Amino acid sequence: MNTSQERSMREAVRAKGSGWEIWIASLGCLLGSSLLILAFQLYQDSNRFFEEQVSPSNFFTLNKKIQGGALVNMGKGEKTFTQDELNQIEKMDGVMRTGGFTRNKFPLTLYIWPSGKVGLGAAAKTDLFFESIPDEFLDFIPEEWNWDENSSTVPIIVPKFYLDLWNFGLAPSRVEYPTLSNEAATGMPIELFIGNNREVTLEGRFVAFSKRINSVLVPESFLSQANEKYGKPDAGQYFFLWKDGAVDGPPRTLGFLQGLTEEQKQNGEASPISSPAEKKPILEILEVQTSDTHLPSRIIVQIEGSPSDAFVAELGAKGYEINREFPEQDLVKKITNVVFLGMAIIGVLFSISSIATFATSFRLLVTQASEPATNLLLLGFSSDSLTKLFFLRFVLIFAPVFLLALALGAGLQYELCKIGKNVGIEVESGLSIPTFVFAFAYCIVFLVINRMTIEKSVKKLSD
Amino acid sequence: MQIELQSLRPYPIPDKFIPKSEVWEKNLHIESGNKCLLAAQSGKGKSTLLHVLYGLRSDCSGDALIGDRSVFSNTPSEWEEIRKTKVSLLFQDLKLFPKLSARENIELIPQTNLKATPIDEMLTKVGMEQFVDQPVEQLSFGQRQRIALLRSLRKPFELLLLDEPFSHLDKENTVRACQLIEETVERNQASLIISSLGDEPPLNFDGRFSL
Repeated sequence: MNTSQERSMREAVRAKGSGWEIWIASLGCLLGSSLLILAFQLYQDSNRFFEEQVSPSNFFTLNKKIQGGALVNMGKGEKTFTQDELNQIEKMDGVMRTGGFTRNKFPLTLYIWPSGKVGLGAAAKTDLFFESIPDEFLDFIPEEWNWDENSSTVPIIVPKFYLDLWNFGLAPSRVEYPTLSNEAATGMPIELFIGNNREVTLEGRFVAFSKRINSVLVPESFLSQANEKYGKPDAGQYFFLWKDGAVDGPPRTLGFLQGLTEEQKQNGEASPISSPAEKKPILEILEVQTSDTHLPSRIIVQIEGSPSDAFVAELGAKGYEINREFPEQDLVKKITNVVFLGMAIIGVLFSISSIATFATSFRLLVTQASEPATNLLLLGFSSDSLTKLFFLRFVLIFAPVFLLALALGAGLQYELCKIGKNVGIEVESGLSIPTFVFAFAYCIVFLVINRMTIEKSVKKLSD
Repeated sequence: MQIELQSLRPYPIPDKFIPKSEVWEKNLHIESGNKCLLAAQSGKGKSTLLHVLYGLRSDCSGDALIGDRSVFSNTPSEWEEIRKTKVSLLFQDLKLFPKLSARENIELIPQTNLKATPIDEMLTKVGMEQFVDQPVEQLSFGQRQRIALLRSLRKPFELLLLDEPFSHLDKENTVRACQLIEETVERNQASLIISSLGDEPPLNFDGRFSL
């Protein structure tokens, strides 16, 4: 078929009317396609962002729930996990490994010098704690993480949000504290004072900011040595000593119990001050306390994938508490996904109605042109050539609308990236390859459905 | 292309027309290359027969064969091919495209008959050369009839069916059109069936049938 003949054919079947239906279908197609493309792209962007910026949800820390007020808990020892409990946790479905937190057993005070020099300007002073975990649970191991007896500085890792709290909470409220970049924060000198009367002074430095561990971490080697050197094994554990059915004197430390004679240990009874009625032989108390000293009160758990609701419920039922950030991050992720799913659903609805409107419009178009179209068929033109004719007309409308939808999707994503950047969410702008593949597949579906509709309408004419 | 009718009878034809008809419910054989005239008054089924032979109707009893094949056994895609290359029909209502020019209408066919006379020569022969670029909607019915005739002659065919092709033509134009038809049919060694209301066009017919 030559060009002038094609033009004549197009002219012959040109039908008046149905213009506004096609405009509505085009608008629906534009909105639906843009929304779908944008939702698909933002879904990927948010997933990438959560993967890069937010702690992986398959790591979380676990401790036993602490209940009651300060007075109730005063004098109670740490709620450590028993060996049985640790074994049970390790056996739970999806648990890959666990690691215990070790805590400092000595009073600790920090002076942080944001000016970069000790003694210059104001120091941020705080009582603090240190914990350590096996290195394999760290997000990454900083170069300065090694510590031995000859090291002059204690490397410290703090959660990333501590720095955020400093920058967005503390610094704006205190003129003497500057806001800090990661680099500036790692350059701050820190004085560590150990002991109630600050008997020992050490130098420290932040070496990294963790997105995974919600604690102030120092190397295991430092903490075990410091605990041994400066720690008090009986810190926080006091017992009533019983004699002749009555409490004998003030609360005593574990060290005091350990210092009793063998005879006193065998015959004497004691009870923790948190539950004075629970009298037990001193020997038994010493046995339990000694064996429990190496058991952690907080553990880090790595599981396969995100914790399921059932998994979280099982831990809750056992009286354990999952550290709060990660489920919340999951919640944010879930909410974001729901938003994108909503966008995608609206996009799909728009697209479906647009496909339906296009299909109806073109069915109408074929019907309106039924007389000349039938005449062409009677002259011997094939229904295929007529289908092509109408389909080409559809493509000429759909192609620019689809390209515009791609551009609109990309433009909106670019603008959202700019807004995101202003609130600290860095996402690469531009449509990804998977989005283009998705858009291409979507385009094919759109074309195929409309081609089938046109084909069916033309076939009806030839029957 | 030979044609055979075997007791063919379209259902809508009233019983009273059947006994007098030389076609309905009769066995009829038209040799390849023959020219035949179907003469009858309106409503006797002239167009119906041509439409049966063109595959547009099948509401009949009996059978009609083109070549060795029953027209009722052809599939839609086979009919597409037959209409494109073997059988050409001039419809009584012409089926032209009003917005297109006379030339565009003549050229708007799926395949061109290589043995056909060139368009301009054809137009001159039927006295339509000065109207070639006018939209068909501006032409008289007689002029349109000639344009539709030229279009049917421009298609390749082994069987040419003309449904009352001269109903709106004067004698002179009828003679001119008949000359062009005869010459094109002979060049194609094709069969020809013309329907007429009663007047016999100036052509050498091999057979005449009344309905």
